[in-house]
Amino acid sequence: MKKIFLTAVQVAFLYFFAIVGNLIVKLLHLPISGSIVGLFIVLALLRFNVLKLSKVELGASFLMSEMLLFFIPSAVAIIQYKDQILAHGSQFLMVIVLSTITVMVVTGLVAQFYVHKFAKKKKEV
Amino acid sequence: MLIAMGCVLMTVVVYWLSKIIYKKVRIALLSPLLVAPCILSSTLVGFHIDYSDYDSGGRWLSNLLQPAVVGFAVPLYKFRKVLRKYLKVILISMTTGVCIALLSSGIFSHLVHLENNYLLSLLPRSITTPIAIAVSADIGGMPTMTAIFVIVTGISGLILGPAIIRYFNIREKLARGLLLGMGAHGAGTSKALEFGSEEGAAASLAMVLAAIFTLVFAPILTPIILM
Repeated sequence: MKKIFLTAVQVAFLYFFAIVGNLIVKLLHLPISGSIVGLFIVLALLRFNVLKLSKVELGASFLMSEMLLFFIPSAVAIIQYKDQILAHGSQFLMVIVLSTITVMVVTGLVAQFYVHKFAKKKKEV
Repeated sequence: MLIAMGCVLMTVVVYWLSKIIYKKVRIALLSPLLVAPCILSSTLVGFHIDYSDYDSGGRWLSNLLQPAVVGFAVPLYKFRKVLRKYLKVILISMTTGVCIALLSSGIFSHLVHLENNYLLSLLPRSITTPIAIAVSADIGGMPTMTAIFVIVTGISGLILGPAIIRYFNIREKLARGLLLGMGAHGAGTSKALEFGSEEGAAASLAMVLAAIFTLVFAPILTPIILM
């Protein structure tokens, strides 16, 4: 019970930083989203020991493990675009699937290649 | 208000059930992100419920994505030493990933003969929704369509990512995390967290960097893609 309460409080706390981030984005007309600004604020606070990890860890791990739930309403939104989907759905799907495969394969292989190269260099030194 | 709460409850219950099914069968194609929206949208269509009514409650859940993104500060902080050590590798991989994402979306759109307004809406599809929408508007796409493409990318990446990792024998935790966060934004990051917390940290960073890099590269590469 105490854990549920703590998690809820920490989620609210993280929400607060997202709201602060949104305000900053609005005030400074930044091109990025408020939640990413909020992420950097929390990261900085953790880094400079203003904020203890234990004050956000429970809430963060709850939100991250249930993250798919938060995507579901936007996925349901697809039903609003019946006409476009019927007309071009297979083309959209083909582009998205092929491009996602390309991106993931290239990113993964490039990263793995450089990690190995980096490790070898370290050994030689 | 009552309808909104009912929609939240329905979404949570359907999500919870589809998660149980997924845990039992472990088939990637039965991801809760594919199964739950299918059940929910057929329910809406079947009972003639307007999406706008559904979203009056659905929005509460979508909004929780914001603190979830803030929460990525935790894995980033925990693994800051590893991430700093590999900063150069990360920057090279992410620059490559972002350019490939934009170019391949453009090239494949050309190949399947999509009109330019759809092509432009597809370009920023691999990054997190709020920024993808902003990029889409900036380069002349349709933000609402982009939001749909982002979510379909998330579902695709969630299903394809683990298969790609296996097939191409990606063993490095960093590479696994980067490809999931780069290819499928937050959805990929949640999958990376299933692999492990180090993969999750790499994916969180990839998601953030992909968004920022796309802001920079999309306006530069768009005229080249349209040529």
